[in-house]
Amino acid sequence: MAEFLSQYSIQRWLEACPQGYLEDTVYGHEAGESEPETVMMDEAQREAAIRTTTQLVVGERAALAASSGLVNAAPDYASKQFLATQTLDEARHVEIFTQRMYDLGVKKDDLESTLSQFANPNLIKFAEVLLEKVEAKDFIAGVVGQNIVLEGMAFTVFEMMEAGARDYNPKFAHTLQGTIADERRHVGFGENRIGSLIKENPEKRPEIEKMQRDMTYFMLATFADSFSGNPDPIDAPAEAEGASVEWQGVNLATATPEEMEALLAGTVLGEFKTRLARIGLEYQSPSMG
Amino acid sequence: MSNIEPHALGAEAFFDEVQSFEFWFGAVEGYLTDRPFGHSSDTVDVALDDVRRDRLITTLCNYCVGETAALEGSSGLVRLAPNRNAKIFMATQVVDEARHLEVFLARLKDLGVDDAEAEIQRRANPLLLDFKDSLLELVDAGEWSSAVFAQNVILETMEFTVFRAHERTADPITAEVLRGVISDERRHFGFGENDIGRRVAQDPDLRSRLKDLRTRFDAMVVGVFDDAVGELALTGEGAPDLSRDYMDAVSRLGLGQ
Amino acid sequence: MTQDPGADSAGASGSSDGRRRYELEDVGFREVPKRWRKFYRHWGGPTDELAPNEMLCPVCKVIVRSVREFREGDRLYCMPCMTRMVVVSDGNGGLIAQVVF
Repeated sequence: MAEFLSQYSIQRWLEACPQGYLEDTVYGHEAGESEPETVMMDEAQREAAIRTTTQLVVGERAALAASSGLVNAAPDYASKQFLATQTLDEARHVEIFTQRMYDLGVKKDDLESTLSQFANPNLIKFAEVLLEKVEAKDFIAGVVGQNIVLEGMAFTVFEMMEAGARDYNPKFAHTLQGTIADERRHVGFGENRIGSLIKENPEKRPEIEKMQRDMTYFMLATFADSFSGNPDPIDAPAEAEGASVEWQGVNLATATPEEMEALLAGTVLGEFKTRLARIGLEYQSPSMG
Repeated sequence: MSNIEPHALGAEAFFDEVQSFEFWFGAVEGYLTDRPFGHSSDTVDVALDDVRRDRLITTLCNYCVGETAALEGSSGLVRLAPNRNAKIFMATQVVDEARHLEVFLARLKDLGVDDAEAEIQRRANPLLLDFKDSLLELVDAGEWSSAVFAQNVILETMEFTVFRAHERTADPITAEVLRGVISDERRHFGFGENDIGRRVAQDPDLRSRLKDLRTRFDAMVVGVFDDAVGELALTGEGAPDLSRDYMDAVSRLGLGQ
Repeated sequence: MTQDPGADSAGASGSSDGRRRYELEDVGFREVPKRWRKFYRHWGGPTDELAPNEMLCPVCKVIVRSVREFREGDRLYCMPCMTRMVVVSDGNGGLIAQVVF
């Protein structure tokens, strides 16, 4: 274990992240990049972008609260050190997505009210299920909830959004690329560290699987809310025609919201099943009815 | 851009700048680049005699206890932080504290300590463990101001004073590691003093609560400090003066006797 | 005459408000992002002579620098420790930085 955890040291993190792919970036993107005029000039598009970014801020705030809370619960120094880097990664994500809210025209004084107005209630419930485990200092459940479920979802959602934004909004795409690079470490740690702990604590399985089922329920409900009746659910307007917006073999520029929802949910759930199986847990399908 | 001087910023813009990830990022880049585990690969290690080596191990073990207290304390404080700037600052402090722990553990390994966790348990100063427990109780109770006072003012001032004195007499590698840690500590106690100072100015009750807390912590802090000074043999002229640094800090906050 | 310790190679000059102005250069203080580094330097201890455009931060003992000489009432910031200060008289004809909360 000590050998693999050395891959997650602060030293590695410094070399990979601040001194690596984030070097010379400003709030996660290249200096001088800005939101496209098509978004800023069109009120409907701008509001759609604010709505989407709100979910990112809410999700990252939950991840920040969870990862910082888990430092205390971690059973060894190496895990504490990794979770410390994750805490800062999540704080950076909160900062860069909050900055995007400002870039989209939200005034500083209106930030919290805008977040309250647009935050998806199901996403908040999703976070509450996780934070309950963190509050109870339940390290194993907390890491599964945070690094497998939440990060697994974020990883896939960000990849889809990055594909959608790559050509029409390089600023946002670059912001997401750095975030995705961070998430890779987080899901990697979750799987690698927790697999052995689940084996050592088999009695925890039912409780953790229930948490995963509840979180999945609220995640799917969030997706359903986000896509139903939303012409621009991934912040990549159809005007980006001709652009390379293919993801998982589907052209996001021409897909309907329903097709995108099915694609996203299918991809995330597929990832969950694979990741959970690797750490010795069985995916629990939520009842959506 | 570089012609704008920091003193021209408004107060809000100043705090937005210095409590951001971006600021932290640019700051640590300046003194951590090319220093794996806190020191340059060009720095030459020197052989220590058995007594000095043993004393250094005890000192580093206690630094690890202090840094673990600050790591667990600051990570718990992220959730309690009253605004976004404070949350992001606390998150940068979490990773700073974890880095300190890591570089001290790496130094212990250089000195031949194979099972650092066992060695730390064996050599930890009981007063420092009491301090850690008291700090984490404040964090668990959700008491932001008291916990920030205990951690970012009391603990960080003590560490800053000891580390600066130790850096002057330490072997080259330990000294370089300590210089990087000291650079981080400036941000931590500066944040603590400013945050607590603003709150005390607005809330007279808080002043008396923190004075009580100070009384409770004083014996532990002085005891830990005296032990550290003894362990490092930092006596005579040039010895660190905790009472001066500590009293300066609490006086600025209006919490002197 | 000793060289003004606050001035760099370009030296100090006068300005329309009667204050001396200074061209600052990075003198090796690396604890803040690059663009702010020239506004700070390490303190050399009690024998370190401060120039008219320099103040000692009482919190973290770093020298804070400005492009113009400091006068009573000026605001200044220590970025390494995030402290806000104001320049006040030290009661002996000199100036010092006092922390503002």
